[in-house]
Amino acid sequence: MEETYVLWYREMRKWLGRKPVVIISLFSPIFWILLFGKSFNPLNIVPEGVGELGELVRAKIIELFGTQDYFTYVAAGMTVAFALFQASFAGASALFDRRLGYMDRLLVTPVKRESIFAAKVLASVTRVVLLTSLLVAVSYLAGLQLKADFTLLDLLLALLTVAFISLMFSSIFMLAGFVMDNPEGLFAIGNLVNTPLLFASSVLFPTDQMPFWLRFIAELNPLSYGADLVRHFLVAKPMEDPYIVLLLFGVVSVAVFATSAKVAVKLMEK
Amino acid sequence: MENAVTAERLHKKFGEVVAVREVSFKIRRGELYALLGPNGAGKTTTLKMLSTLLKPTSGDAYVMGYSVLREAEKVRRVIGVVPQELTADDELTGYQNVYLQARLYGYSDAEARERTRKALETVGLTESASRRASTYSGGMRRKLEIAMSLVHDPPVIFLDEPTLGLDVQSRRAMWELIRQFKKEGRSMILTTHYMEEAEALADRVGIIDHGMLKAEGSPEELKGMLKWDKVYVELYRDEDADALAKEMRLAGLEARVDSSQVVVSMQGEEVLRKVIGLLNGRRVKSINIVKPNLEEVFLEITGRRLREESFDAFKQRVFMRKVR
Ligand SMILES: Nc1ncnc2c1ncn2[C@@H]1O[C@H](COP(=O)(O)OP(=O)(O)OP(=O)(O)O)[C@@H](O)[C@H]1O
Ligand SMILES: [Mg+2]
Repeated sequence: MEETYVLWYREMRKWLGRKPVVIISLFSPIFWILLFGKSFNPLNIVPEGVGELGELVRAKIIELFGTQDYFTYVAAGMTVAFALFQASFAGASALFDRRLGYMDRLLVTPVKRESIFAAKVLASVTRVVLLTSLLVAVSYLAGLQLKADFTLLDLLLALLTVAFISLMFSSIFMLAGFVMDNPEGLFAIGNLVNTPLLFASSVLFPTDQMPFWLRFIAELNPLSYGADLVRHFLVAKPMEDPYIVLLLFGVVSVAVFATSAKVAVKLMEK
Repeated sequence: MENAVTAERLHKKFGEVVAVREVSFKIRRGELYALLGPNGAGKTTTLKMLSTLLKPTSGDAYVMGYSVLREAEKVRRVIGVVPQELTADDELTGYQNVYLQARLYGYSDAEARERTRKALETVGLTESASRRASTYSGGMRRKLEIAMSLVHDPPVIFLDEPTLGLDVQSRRAMWELIRQFKKEGRSMILTTHYMEEAEALADRVGIIDHGMLKAEGSPEELKGMLKWDKVYVELYRDEDADALAKEMRLAGLEARVDSSQVVVSMQGEEVLRKVIGLLNGRRVKSINIVKPNLEEVFLEITGRRLREESFDAFKQRVFMRKVR
């Protein structure tokens, strides 16, 4: 525990030492939600003052997206996509520690190998949870319509969902950072995974509007579950059994983490 | 348990390449043992096996009585490893680097602070402790590596080429530090391809080449293997060396050519007189009499010289490290 904390502290310390990077990492999701959420807003096509048509479109939006407007839909969903994107950078810290010899230095101390892996993954999760809180705050200022009876608990549940997504994907990408030797390859894998997962999910658009083959993929995609959970907690988009889904999500994430940790420890014992 | 380290037929293969071939040696408590060998000899690989970073393909080693194969964690508690590369975290300060290391050995915050302060003081980095490691010079970074490796006060220390690329002054300072560790009773293995370093510091030297331990003994013992001094003759015209060597052999001397110099073994009083006689009428650039040293021993044993890595090559390595 102690040593995991110390190693986690190192990662966080390094991260906080790069404040510009911290700020810049928020630009891209904010850009996404502003561009998509605001400019693709279907209400934009309704001429000013046509009250009845406006009402019709608004009703259709609520039916389609389950939120008051498209911006709210995208902004809430983007939290999990952001968690995925951030996770895809996680492996770099392992890769560079290995290349620069810091990993060998850790490996000659009595520190448990599991702790080395766990600390890196947990630091990645921590960073995402902190950044997502900021992202939600910015979205709120930009017009995200929280549900009427929103409480702090809802925010915590949404962040827990994001944490599970982050745990799942950070573990996988961290493992990649223990396997691969060149950063280009690592980032290529990140890109390969990120874009399809984003588009084949309910992050940007509801799955029931998709062609059946895409819908099939999207409904298996963890990002869809994550996005739906976050929307449920933040903006009360209806969803079946949210707590059971959240629980299963947690179980799967922890299982992915444990398995990745096992493999990573094997890789450390050369 | 009188030995600090016992290596028993350590063997390491990387695919088809045999990096270390059935190497066995013992290091007594408090002893400083130098592994002397050229680039690629297997020094680092040997140290990595001793420090539990690499699993031997076969064989085993014991550090303070603990098997590196079966009791790796106990081994890790008693060793301090100063790696060949510079491994400190560039983004952290010198202080943070050492402090984190102390915490990883399980010391409380207060104890870790105290140990960090002491370790930085020992290596002389107190002044620069609050600067980022990325701003350190090569010599300072080496010192930081040492502070990080010794913060838990290990009885056994492994130093992999600790003076590689250092200027003369920093090298002397490092030697002093190593001598101090020896006074404190620590057992050490030091790898080097500088023979002066092995000669200046080591109680015993192991000569390693192509993964094999070729000879072992105190510097005096090793030099004792060479009974005779040598005369090195350099002519103005390199082409003439072969002819001269031939003439010398005809005169009953043991002579050969090594990098365009004629080398004559001083077996007996009259050798020098004969050599000088044969040099009559030739244009001689230099003539040197060399007492047996480890360089000569290495040459005798392996048939090759210890190639010294130039300072430029080292700089290039540091540079590459920064780029990647
Ligand atoms: N991970 C590896 N994979 C394949 N071959 C390796 C590996 N590590 C070392 N070798 C090979 O093993 C041999 C011994 O290497 P080692 O690094 O132990 O030499 P060294 O004596 O430390 O050399 P130097 O003075 O250059 O540091 C070399 O031929 C090297 O190419
Ligand atoms: Mg080496």
